[in-house]
Amino acid sequence: MGVARLKKAELYYHKSVHDQIAATLQESGACQIISTEEDKVQRPSDIEALISRNDDKLSEVRYLSRTLTPVYVDPVPALDRMLGERPDVTMSELEELASKTDLQSICEQTRAVEHEAGEVRSKLSEARTNTALLADLKFFPYPLSVFTEGTRTLTALAGTIKAENVAGFKAALGDLSKYVADTEVVVAPFDEKDKAQSVYVAVIYSRSIESEIREVCAKHGLSFVEVPASFAGTPEEEQEKFAASITQLEKKESELADKLSELAQENVPAVQKLSDYYNSLSSRYNEMARSEETECTMLTKFWLPVDRAEEVKQKIEAISPDVALFMSDPAPEDEPPSLLKNGSLTRPFNILTELYSSPAYRGIDPTPLLAPFFWIFFGMCLGDAGYAIVVFGTILYVFKKYKKMSLGVKDFIKLFLFCSISTFIYGVISGSFFGNFIDSFVPALVPLKNSLMLVDPMTNPMQVLGISLLIGIVHLMFGLLIAAYDKLRNGQFIDAVGNDLSWFMFITGLTFLGLGMGGMLPPHFVQIGQAMAGLGAVIIFIYAGRGKGWNIGGRIISGFLALYGSTSYLGDILSYSRLLALGFGSAVIGMVINLLGGLAADIPYVGWLVAIVVIIGGHIFSILINILGSFVHPLRLQYVEFFGKFYTGGGEPFTPLTLSQEFVNVKA
Amino acid sequence: MEFLGLSLALFGAALAAALAGIGSAIGIGIAGGAAAGVMTEDPNKFGSCLILQALPGTQGIYGLLIAFFVLNKLGLLGGAGAVALNWNQGLQILASCLPIAVVGWYSAIWQGKTSAASIQMISKKPEAMGKAIILPAMVETYAVLALLTSILMLMGVQVG
Repeated sequence: MGVARLKKAELYYHKSVHDQIAATLQESGACQIISTEEDKVQRPSDIEALISRNDDKLSEVRYLSRTLTPVYVDPVPALDRMLGERPDVTMSELEELASKTDLQSICEQTRAVEHEAGEVRSKLSEARTNTALLADLKFFPYPLSVFTEGTRTLTALAGTIKAENVAGFKAALGDLSKYVADTEVVVAPFDEKDKAQSVYVAVIYSRSIESEIREVCAKHGLSFVEVPASFAGTPEEEQEKFAASITQLEKKESELADKLSELAQENVPAVQKLSDYYNSLSSRYNEMARSEETECTMLTKFWLPVDRAEEVKQKIEAISPDVALFMSDPAPEDEPPSLLKNGSLTRPFNILTELYSSPAYRGIDPTPLLAPFFWIFFGMCLGDAGYAIVVFGTILYVFKKYKKMSLGVKDFIKLFLFCSISTFIYGVISGSFFGNFIDSFVPALVPLKNSLMLVDPMTNPMQVLGISLLIGIVHLMFGLLIAAYDKLRNGQFIDAVGNDLSWFMFITGLTFLGLGMGGMLPPHFVQIGQAMAGLGAVIIFIYAGRGKGWNIGGRIISGFLALYGSTSYLGDILSYSRLLALGFGSAVIGMVINLLGGLAADIPYVGWLVAIVVIIGGHIFSILINILGSFVHPLRLQYVEFFGKFYTGGGEPFTPLTLSQEFVNVKA
Repeated sequence: MEFLGLSLALFGAALAAALAGIGSAIGIGIAGGAAAGVMTEDPNKFGSCLILQALPGTQGIYGLLIAFFVLNKLGLLGGAGAVALNWNQGLQILASCLPIAVVGWYSAIWQGKTSAASIQMISKKPEAMGKAIILPAMVETYAVLALLTSILMLMGVQVG
């Protein structure tokens, strides 16, 4: 339980075996390499060479998975893959695959296809633009070569002009053509009423008045349209040509897409395996590059959990006689990383601590301390026996179906498996089964349900509110005791008593007092409570004035200020009322769903069907939304109310050198 | 004036469902915008973004819950017929609906803003998901407290 003890290992070895050593350390998954110096610039030369060679391979793999994965149709559904349904391979199989696979030629093929597809795409878009332009030029009755080549004396221009300027434009050109014949204006048909629209016009004119024509065009706001040089025939003829080439290009495009997905189908499985392989090598070399070197030897330092030490030592010493491994306990000035080590019951709760912050190596691991509370809180928030059965059953099914889940995923799911048990218990004692399903639809079971009920939030919410707040007080007081223990451990006796135990006595005393007066505890608890609260208050009062010497006025003021701090405890305790509110929330949402189902059942003929859909769909929705709330709010109670009393985290998590397992399960 | 009580009570239920619902819609909208922005860069973050976006949605559910609570109390569900209510009782039910209506409305908007900020956070630091969920949940505390207040007030009001 708690933070695992680590050893600091110093490993000296001959350079000839450095890769085997590195592989062994990586495959053990238990060694976190330590930098010998900060900002190390010079990497050992042997490793430097390996890194640059590996980086080339890695960039090829990355290119392939970036290009091919989007078109790859994975035969394994994504969810299955996430839950561990992936191929198992060993490192030596991967090595063989790597030597067999010609990544470079796959890359070349892929690049060729990609390049061609790019060209086809740009040709296609050009053809489509031209077709659109031709559609606009359809009003022009002559071959388009007039624009592009013209005759010896004639040429033409095309452009768009605002509808309201068309008349003026024509008139101006008419004036020009008084002196030079052969000027002709062709205007595309347009709607006379819409003055603002752009209208296509074409002007055929004698080359001799080129500049005058341009002047008129500019004056009337004509914007020129470039007619591509390849256009020769009439717009219709040209369009036909493009239509043919577009069909051809589209066919080519789909052929290339097929080719790419063929390449993907063929290569992605291998590329994914190799991606894990080269990424493993990359992290191996980059981590090992922190080693020191002499001419023939290397020195690697790493952290290693005590319980894996013997196994790793044996593996390393089996490699070569030319190694020396020294292990020592962390020195006081060392800041080792922290690895949470908990039994199978509390391990699923590790993630809750890690989400906040890992404990310092010499600090307290709060996981086993928060686990029972989180379990109870989650149960009270979700609080429905029916929902618990659904969650429990689903998780059992998942565990049965997927055997190869990674440990992290498995632990996270297990967290909900555990919590579904507390949910079931609280559901039974508060009489909630799919909301009020039993009362609404199965009246025969009502006596059974009622006989098992210990609390009834629906008719007596104050009772459950009281229980929630009491649990809150226990939780907070437990936090204070841990804080006191932590301080005592470090020899801070005065602080432990003044800061933590005093508040513990004060609040516990007040609680006893209240419960005793309310008749929920025997009457002598009133006296005990008074004594405890009084003593606690006195200590708080005195402790607050520490370091003020005989400054009596200052001591009195700081003492009262400290006692005023009890409002923050009041806030903390009231925060636990959310346990009632969320439990209530899921029960009432369930009730609403049953009610809607009941109403739907009154619809003639299809009512029963609608009712079933509403009830099943509604409860699934309710389970999902309430699990989210039941996870988040108990977690907040741990982080804000509980951790606030004693825990700051601040440790670096233990991150050993491991094999990359993004796509496949790699075994050593 | 015979139905004034009933009308007041219904007005309260309408406020609870409507204002809290509006708040959640705005909050989810704000968070959704941020989520869409993050996902243009990294579509794989859909799962975490969706959870963060859903957080401001609970206020709307709390409002609905109170509205149903009121309808149930009034006997308007299930065809048994409405209970008799004088205007005083109606006003009491209206008052009971106000905490979740007002707090639900406002807290959902602010929770949405916090969610959006959290979504920005996980776009840069995906490992900080735990902290990213807790920050919006801090805002929701007050919606939960308002829900509790509304429930306790409603249970205290005597009708029929």
